[in-house]
Parts: sequence; C-alpha cells; structure tokens
Amino acid sequence: MKKINPVQKYFLSIMSSFITRIRDYGMYIALAIIFFVFSITTEGRFLGPINFTNLLNQAAYVAVLAVGMTLVIVTRQIDLSVGFLGAFLGAFLVVNIENFGNNLGKIFITIFGPTTGQNIIQFFNDHSFWLIILIVLIAVVLTVAVGLLKGFLVSVANVPSFVVTLAMMFIFKGLLMYTTRNTTIPTSNAFFQSIGIGYLPTFKIGNYNGVALILGALLILLVIALSTIRYFKNIRNGVKVEDPSLFVTKLIFTIAILAFLTYTLAAFRGISYLLLITIFVVFVYHILTTKTVIGRKIYAVGSNPEAAELSGINVKQIITVVFISMGILSLFAGLMFVARTQNASPQHGVGWEMYAIASCYIGGTSANGGVGKVINSAIGAITIIGLTNGMALAGINANLEPIILGSVLVLSVIFDIYTRNVRPIDLVGMYYAKNKYRNEYLQAKKEYKEARKALKEAIEEGNTKKINVLEFELTKKQGEFNRFRELIRSAKEEDFLEVIK
Amino acid sequence: MDAPYLIEMRSITKRFPGVVALDNVNLKVRKGEIHFIVGENGAGKSTLIKILSGIHPYGSYSGDIVFDGQVRHFHGIKNSVECGIVTINQEFALFPDLTVYENIFIGHEVTNINGIVDWNETKRLAKHYLDMVGLDVDINDLVGTLGVGKQQLVEIAKALSQNVKLLILDEPTAALNDVDSDNLLKLILELKKKGITSIMISHKLKEVQKIADSITILRDGKTICRMERDEIDEHTIIRHMVGREINNIYPKRPKYEGGEVVLETSHLNAFDKKKNRFVVIDSNIKVRKGEVVGIAGLMGAGRTELARTIFGNSAHYKVTGSVFIRGHRVELSHPKKAIELGLAYVSEDRKGNGLILSENVSNNLTITALEKISNYGFLNFLEQAIQSEGYVKKLGIKTPSIYQTVQNLSGGNQQKVQIGKCLFSEPEILILDEPTRGIDVGAKYEIYTLINKMVEQGKSILLISSELPEILGMCDRIYVLAEGVQTAEFNVEEATPEEIMKKATI
Repeated sequence: MKKINPVQKYFLSIMSSFITRIRDYGMYIALAIIFFVFSITTEGRFLGPINFTNLLNQAAYVAVLAVGMTLVIVTRQIDLSVGFLGAFLGAFLVVNIENFGNNLGKIFITIFGPTTGQNIIQFFNDHSFWLIILIVLIAVVLTVAVGLLKGFLVSVANVPSFVVTLAMMFIFKGLLMYTTRNTTIPTSNAFFQSIGIGYLPTFKIGNYNGVALILGALLILLVIALSTIRYFKNIRNGVKVEDPSLFVTKLIFTIAILAFLTYTLAAFRGISYLLLITIFVVFVYHILTTKTVIGRKIYAVGSNPEAAELSGINVKQIITVVFISMGILSLFAGLMFVARTQNASPQHGVGWEMYAIASCYIGGTSANGGVGKVINSAIGAITIIGLTNGMALAGINANLEPIILGSVLVLSVIFDIYTRNVRPIDLVGMYYAKNKYRNEYLQAKKEYKEARKALKEAIEEGNTKKINVLEFELTKKQGEFNRFRELIRSAKEEDFLEVIK
Repeated sequence: MDAPYLIEMRSITKRFPGVVALDNVNLKVRKGEIHFIVGENGAGKSTLIKILSGIHPYGSYSGDIVFDGQVRHFHGIKNSVECGIVTINQEFALFPDLTVYENIFIGHEVTNINGIVDWNETKRLAKHYLDMVGLDVDINDLVGTLGVGKQQLVEIAKALSQNVKLLILDEPTAALNDVDSDNLLKLILELKKKGITSIMISHKLKEVQKIADSITILRDGKTICRMERDEIDEHTIIRHMVGREINNIYPKRPKYEGGEVVLETSHLNAFDKKKNRFVVIDSNIKVRKGEVVGIAGLMGAGRTELARTIFGNSAHYKVTGSVFIRGHRVELSHPKKAIELGLAYVSEDRKGNGLILSENVSNNLTITALEKISNYGFLNFLEQAIQSEGYVKKLGIKTPSIYQTVQNLSGGNQQKVQIGKCLFSEPEILILDEPTRGIDVGAKYEIYTLINKMVEQGKSILLISSELPEILGMCDRIYVLAEGVQTAEFNVEEATPEEIMKKATI
C-alpha cells in the first residue's frame, strides 16, 4: 500500500481534528460568519478599531451576566431575576452615591437622631471615597442575602428556580422603580465615569496605544510559552498529544486572533475598564470552574445531583453558592451598565436575563446541566451584541434584530444537539482503511444493492414466501455492508503503522 | 403441539457501541403458548424484548421479525401495539395521578364520532376489562393508591383493551408477594384459554416449571436452546443458563474471629414522607470490624432504605432512633458527614445515582474526597492522575485511560469504579447495595475477591443483595428484612436459603 503524502496528511489531520471537535468550534464558526458578513455589509467598519472597541464595551455587562448564568444553568437551574436585580443594584449605587442624604442617609438620622445623623451624612458627603466603599459594601451584603434567599427557596423549600426567580424578577422591578422614583437619575460621579467610559492610562507608541500593545504582546508571548510548555510536558508524561504540525497551526491561529485584537484596541483608545473587568471576571471564573474543588463540585451537581449527594457533596450548599455568585455578578453588571450610560433609570434591566441565558446556550451550555464553559458563554455574549451592533451599523431595520437573534439561538442549539455524539474521526486512518478494504466494501455494497432490488421485485410480484426469505437475505447483507462501513469509519492511523514504516 | 408460530425472530443481531448484545438469536413462539425467556442478567433478554416491541426500531438490528406469518418492521412501540404486541415492563407505564379507567384507555381513548372522549363508554369498558383480569377495585380510584400487584393487573387490563395477541411480561412477579404472584400466574393461564399468547421473562424457575409451555434460554447474547414443556427441568435450565458448574464462585475467606462493633443501629425507624409509610421499622443491627454482614430480603423490604438512612441520605425520611459508629452516637444528617466518619455507600443504581456517567473515570474516582487531591481549594491534576491510576490498577478496572468517560465502560468495570470511588474516601465501613447487579460472572468473582481483600484490611462490609447464594456465600452473619421489619438474624453456618426465604416472606 502507498504511503500518504505529507501535505495531504497535514490537511487530513487538520480536518479530522476539526470534525472531531466540531462541537467546541461551532460557536467560533458562527462568530466568524457573523463578523464576516457584517464586515462586508459595513465596508470594514464593523471590525474597525472604533466600532470593535465599542462592541466589546457594549457586550461587557452581558458577558459578565452570562458567566454567572453558565454556572446556574450547569447546576440545572435558571435565574430570571438577574436583569432587574442588576438594574436595581446599579440604581441603588447611583442614587445613594449621588444623594446619600435623601436615601440611605436617612437611616442614620433615625438611628442616631438628627444631629449625629446629619454629621455622619456630612462626613460621607465630604469623603466620597468612603461613601463609595460604604454603599458598595451594603450592596454586596444585600446581594449575598438575596442569593441566600434564592438558594434557600430553591434547594430547601424545593420551589422550582423558574418560579422563585420569576417572583424575584417582579420584586426587583418594583424595587428598581421605587429606588429611582420612576425617573432617570443622571450621575457625573468620577467613580462611575472612570468605570463606564474610562480607559487604562497610557502613552503613545507612534499612533498606537502603548499599554494595549505591550499587554497584547505579553499575552501572546504567554500563550506561546504556556502551550509549548504544556505540549512538551504532556509528551514527557506520556500523555497522547496531537501532531506537531497541528499544534503549530492551532497556535498560529490563536496568535493571529490575539494580534488582531491587540491591534484593534491599540489603534483606538486601548483597554477600557469595562473590558478589563470583563476579562478579570472571565479569568477568575474560568479558573474557578476548571481548577478548583468548588468548580468540580458544581459540575458534579449539574451532571447528576443524586450521585453528587451520595458522594458527600452538599447539593443545597452548592446551589446556594451558585445563586450568590450570580447575584454578585449581577451587581457587577448593574454597576457596569449605569456607569456606561451615566444614569440610573427605571427603563434599565429589561431583557438582560434573556441575553445572558441566550449567550449561554449559544456558547454550548447544555440545558440538561453539567456541561458549559464560561469562556464560551462570554464569547456567546459578544456574538449576540455583535449582531445588534452590526445590524445597526449596516443600517438594517432594527426590528429585524430579535428575529435574527432568535434564529441564531435555535440554530446553535440544534447544532449542539446534533453534534453531541460526534465520534472521533481519523481521516488519515480512513484513507488507509479505504485502500485496504476497498474490494470487500464494494462487494458488500453491490450485494446489498442487489438484495434490495430482488426484494423490491418480489414485493411487486406479491410472493409472500419469497418476500420472507429475501427480507432475511437483505438484513444479512445490510449487516455485512454496515460492518465494512463501520470498519473504515473507525479506522485509526495507528492501526496502519507497518504501512507507514 | 404443531400450532403455527405466532412470532418468529430470526437471527437477531444487535450491537451497542463496543458490545454485541444479541448474536444471531432465534425465538419461536407458537400461537396460544406461554413461553418463557430465561437467562442470567445481561444475557440479552431485555434487549430482545425491546426489539420485539419496537423500542429498538427496525434498522438498528439485523435479522427478521415474523409475526402472524408476515415480516414486520416496527419503528416504534406504536407499530408493535397496532399488531397486538403489548409489553408490560418492570417499571409500569401507569400514571399514578389518573384514575384506573383513565389509565386503561390512555393513548387509545374511546371517542364518539366527533372525536370527543366518551367517558360513559370508557367506564363501562374499563369495568369489563377489570372483570376479565379479576381485579376488584373502584374504577374511580387513583392508580397511585393501589398496591403493586393491583397496578400490574391494571396494566394487563390496559393490554387487553388494546386487543392484545401477544402479551410480553418482563419479570412480572419480581415485585409481587407470593399470593399476588400466584394470582398473576393463574390469570396468565386464564388468558391462554382465551387465546392470548404470552412471553414472560422470569428468574423464578418454580414459576417456569409451573406454567411454561416452552422456554428459550439465552446466555451472553446467544440462543442456547429451546425446550418444550416435557423437557423442562430445573437443573438442566440452570446448567444452560450458567454454562458451567456453579461451584466455587465465592472465593474463600478465613472464618470470622470476632471483633469490636464498628456500626450499630438502635431502634432506628425511618418514615418516608413521600410514600407516607414506615420504610425502616425498629432496626437493630451490629457490624463488627472485619465482618461481612448480609442484609437479605425481597424487593420493597426496606434494605436500600435502611442503608440510605444509615448513610444520612434521608432528606425525605423522618428518622428516629440512633446510629453508633465505633461506640459513639452520631447524627448522620448528610452523606458528607457519613463519609467523614468513615462510611461509604455503593449504590444499587450505579447508573442513576452511583456514578456520573458523563464524567471520566478519574473525576468519578476522586469525587468523594476532593480534599485529597487539592491544596487550598485548587485541584492538583498531577496528584489526581497518580491517585486515579493507583485505584485503576488496584481494582483492576479495565479502561483505555483514566480519562475515559465512564458510560463507555462495561457494567462490571463501572461497578469497580463505583467501589473505587467509595474506597477513595478511605472508609472503615462499606455499605454495598447490590454490588453485583447486572454484571457478568467473571466481574462478580472479582468483586467478591475485592470484598475479601477489604475485609482482610480490617474494613467492615454491610452487603445488601437479592441473590441468596451471594448472601450465603459471602457473609459471616445475615439479617433478614421483610416490609421494613427485621425478622431474623442468622450466623451463616445456620442459615439455609429456605429459612431465609421463609423469614423474608413473613
């Protein structure tokens, strides 16, 4: 048998790896298509520095929510309250930082009497740093309490999370309207300004943002170093690794994407605080889900709650922790949103939870629990906001956006379901197997076709006895044909080592 | 008997990923016969039935089904039911919150010409079918309130209402007491007179001898033989089923010398709030160091419930009484606490709640004691790999790698993973709930050897099993449960299968 030529082998192994892991790449394909289409319809403006920076800032709060929602969905729950909870917490921060005396400050008057109370209020009004610390702390305490309550209702009182969080959604909607007194409250506080529209301080390298360039370059070097180290470590530990050519191809691909991101950000204003917070949240949650005990427990609870319980995992506790984490991230999202829009408004919070949930599903989180990656959900958020942003930029009727978003969501979930049981494929092995079994395969195929034809004729004749015999013959031939097809389909390169050598 | 064959399954071959479940199996049943399919667990009986009833659709197997002289392609249960083949599974397909008559006609409601359900006619017919199966209940009763035996009769009434020609019963008497079983067998004979053919799967050879007209014996996915009524003989059946002499399947262990009590329950009661009845009644058991204690009893005797209560997995139980571990009274409110105290539980339902099937071997093995493979809450993947490899080797788990997904392993190896997972928390006392259910004889032997090895290391075992030979072959002492009550305690030397059965059916 002839040995396969290196170029052909290279492409076949890339294809094999791609098909085998199609499930992981699905979202990136969707993202690439969307970006490509919008780049063309907007004559390149979509991926240009200004718009792309803008897009990432727009997507930030959804990405943060999606990260938390991933864990909620992984544990087989849902949280519909995050939109209004986030908006309420955002409004809570704005209202109290803008006008402490008329809101939380009143409590001090009630507790300590008018004089001391006024003094305390005056102190905080004069020292806005401490005021922000105080208000944020109170917001955190509030958020944790809400998380505990949700966790209790869901896991101890056994109320379905859909109902619990639906109720909470209404409650926080009311609290949002109450807090804002149904008016939009603008803020010009430096705290919100810097978070919402600020960028990392920088210097210029030529026409570009220096900090972004340097951070990007460092990141690229880090990625190269880490993946190379891991690759060789795996070889040393005897873990099976992919072909070097494949490894290098993937690495080059990753570097290209990172380089593009670096360039795009550096060409405008660099790295915004919103982006920084998002990266921080995604990074922390990525570590949390993949490298810690609590992460392992969360996924165990999601995959099989009963088995987790019998393995000594406190399922109720884990679910409560997940709801608390969701609350904290809602606080982040709320803060990011009010900071970006520079106001608190009763209009905020509408549909955030739906964007977050959709991001998770687009990112491949399984509705059955136990499966989902936070990074993919965050990228799912960018996909969704990319759609909105791109359509606006391309001047497409904005009313079409939800229709397209819905279609993308359904398609991505269908894709996910159909690729769930993709078996590993080795096209190089198949190439050899095809050569080896060609004659047997063709023979079996021919006989199968003949048997089918013979049966068809018998059916037309209406000869029952003959039909019975031929039916039997057909299934036998079909079995034979399937056996060869299967043999070729599941062939691996290792099976043909003697040929390769 | 030379009545024509009602059903003929020819050369049925069915593959699951990695295993051949059925290999050229043939099954022939004459019209009006009562036919039994017998075989060990995993012999392929259920798979065969699933093919016959269309659960494994046409095209997923090779071979032919000839029913009533015609080749049939069943693409789903609907097709087989249309032909008059009705299967009653061990798990009833009944709706507990619907009434008896609604259950009987669910899916094929009696309607008038406008397509509106005709409830009067439905009730009349329901009564008629209930009379046929000899069930005396009010048709307005909710099915959930009936006992298992009566529910089964409702299932049969439902089958009759579907114009059944071939009735398939998968271990119909497994969950029934003797009286109900006898009634059921009588009913099957009654139905035979009405011309209904039956195929039954059963482990109870007494039943087979009593009513079978013919039997087919399966072993390891192959047809071993077909026997007619006059050839049926218990010893021959067993020989064919097992395919070897059944001596020495329990590895020897030195006689138990005695030791301190490590686990003791005292007046332990558990009330199941969901089922609204006591599932454990006044349990007083003792397990000593290095001892294997068996819990025998029929289905529903409360064995698993007792184990779960001791293990603290009792969220919907109301528990009174006390559990002592090494002489100290402990409050076992959660499995987590039980594990900390040195208990481990191997679940009887390894796929349902024993393992996380979608996770790999390594993650399953280490889930019970994550603190052993982590520092400050961060996982140490190298340590995890080393530990998992160690357990894979120690237990002889056959897997391509520790990163293999558990659902791709065979039953025996899955079971070993489950035991390994429990050993990982370094327990002193292991509760093994049906540890050999659904695994082949070779793997069983390995599990028994494993039990002996654990005992040698001074661990204590509480072994729950439905298989009396296993209880008698492996245990030092045996408790018998019946309907939640502890009815007897035997030393293994004094115990005989008959004695135990007598106490289990009180």
